[in-house]
Amino acid sequence: MTGDRDGGRRPEGSAGTLERWAAILGGTALGFAGARRGSWALAALGGGLFLAGAAGVPLSSPLRQVALPAVRREPTTTQANVTIAVPAEKLFRHWRNVRHLAALFPHLDAVEILSDTESRWKAHGPGGVPVVWNSRLDKVRENELITWHTLEGADLPHRGTVLFRPAPGGRGTEVSLTLAYHPPGGAGGNAVSRLFGAAPEQQAREALRRLKRIMEVGELPTIEGQPSGRAERGRVTAKLREVTG
Amino acid sequence: MRALCWNGVNDLRVERVPDPTILAPQDAIIKVSLSSVCGSDLHLIGGYVPTMRAGDIIGHEFLGEVVEKGPEVTRLNRGDRVITVSIIGCGKCWHCEHEEFSLCDNSNPQPAFEEMAYGHCTAGIFGYSHAFGGYAGSHAEYIRVPFADTNCFRVPEGVTDEQAVFVSDAVPTGYMAADMGAIKPGDVVAVWGCGGVGQMAMKSAFLMGAERVIGIDRFPDRLRAAQMKAGAETLDYSRVDIYDALLAMTGGRGPDVCIDAVGMEADSGAPSIKGLAIEDLYDRGKQALRLESDRPAVLRQMIQCCRKGGTLSIVGVYGGLIDKFPMGAAMNKALTFRMGQQHGQRYVKRLFEHIEKGELDPAYLLTHKWALDDAPQGYRMFKEKADDCMRVVFAP
Repeated sequence: MTGDRDGGRRPEGSAGTLERWAAILGGTALGFAGARRGSWALAALGGGLFLAGAAGVPLSSPLRQVALPAVRREPTTTQANVTIAVPAEKLFRHWRNVRHLAALFPHLDAVEILSDTESRWKAHGPGGVPVVWNSRLDKVRENELITWHTLEGADLPHRGTVLFRPAPGGRGTEVSLTLAYHPPGGAGGNAVSRLFGAAPEQQAREALRRLKRIMEVGELPTIEGQPSGRAERGRVTAKLREVTG
Repeated sequence: MRALCWNGVNDLRVERVPDPTILAPQDAIIKVSLSSVCGSDLHLIGGYVPTMRAGDIIGHEFLGEVVEKGPEVTRLNRGDRVITVSIIGCGKCWHCEHEEFSLCDNSNPQPAFEEMAYGHCTAGIFGYSHAFGGYAGSHAEYIRVPFADTNCFRVPEGVTDEQAVFVSDAVPTGYMAADMGAIKPGDVVAVWGCGGVGQMAMKSAFLMGAERVIGIDRFPDRLRAAQMKAGAETLDYSRVDIYDALLAMTGGRGPDVCIDAVGMEADSGAPSIKGLAIEDLYDRGKQALRLESDRPAVLRQMIQCCRKGGTLSIVGVYGGLIDKFPMGAAMNKALTFRMGQQHGQRYVKRLFEHIEKGELDPAYLLTHKWALDDAPQGYRMFKEKADDCMRVVFAP
């Protein structure tokens, strides 16, 4: 049991009254909007805000950090992890053949092999804006790790690492993909936002999920092209694809 | 073809839509011969499950004939009479290999919604909202089945269409509910909800060695079916206090295994019973305001009634967040919780054997057989439980 804290003074790191009410009211409004539009995500976000407000969780300080990434100098890093039920050797071989990677990233159009360590990548942003970069392998450890970085003049400067590690209990291989790129505002920032949209984490996660599905079941599950009672079928599937990458 | 489409809350229409086609190498197209309503469809129709989109074809419990198959389907042939398990497995991921098909990693093509709300995504389900993959459902003339080798099962000669259709969903869900209870000979099992799944849970509990089974509902025809067909004793929660009655029937211990075959739209009981009207108003109010997504009346009652150290097995569907959950009682009474959507593929073979031997006959669930064109009225009847309706089955 904890006693009365500090004679009523607000403990360090907890939310102020105004912030709490803003979260409660905002959360309720969002929850309603989400429910009305049948939007799971919005309703969940609203519910979360409401709960955070009610519990006095501080929201504004992390929000400030997220909203102002441009002031930071270090590259933005994103990581995704997945366990795939096949041996590391098989995954390593698949990834080492960079031509296979086009199937993992929907924005990629072509990967051209220039030498044993260098390759040229062509992608497109919304509206077909071309994005081109050359990439060089840094470290390659058989069945364990591949790292690469982009060369001078890349439209999308970044470094990447993919790690393969045996999963415990015969579950296959834990794959972890890390991408580091310069935040919007810096060189290539526009290309990053064109290509990754607002959610690079989602893109990385989707790429690993595609890899998992290709390696485990040999196809990507889909509902595209199935019947429905919607007149504007095309539009709805297009919208869903946006959400799922 | 014709198909039953969800167009908004309580707005179902039979519409003309394009025929389904093979979209991936492991697909099959099934010509639907029977497709049943299911209690969990009512949550979709009522608007309690988010991510439904106007125009979605619903329905997930069906029997039919294979009319077309993709190049990688090897275990099925055109003309096979099959049932398809309503929850889709890829057959290859770690979960499918461990017979946890409803936890399949790969069958849901739209995992983002569930990952955001649940932390992980689970299997795709036919006709069951876009959170569960957005697959078109079975209340139609034809349906496309992904990973057909894993999800379609040939129906043995000796099993009728009317028995087989429920092996898609109601029978394996009820069977799994009993299985998760780890029933031992001599156990007393209480089942909340005497609809299709509840009836199958009661019957399965006896097959697994239960000495007494108690069915709880308020509709006289369901209680009668629980007695006459499933061999259970029954309690009408609108007339008796369930806690008092269960303790009186079990020498004050409480049931060893409590099964929830009701889910998120539970009714807390008649207003005449002490204090329960307030609970019901609270849950309904919060659910209407979307501050709580599910009404947990059955869960609260099960925790209260279950014997110390007993097991709660939950197959009634829940969607999201629950308030006022009696965790103190659950923890201090050392209860075990087991739950999940059915892993039907694990049970189908065993269930057909039980049916062939005459140990289990789900055909009595089928109280009404209608044409697909009458599907909206069929759902209304099922929802209102009119005309002693247990299950309506549509024959396109």
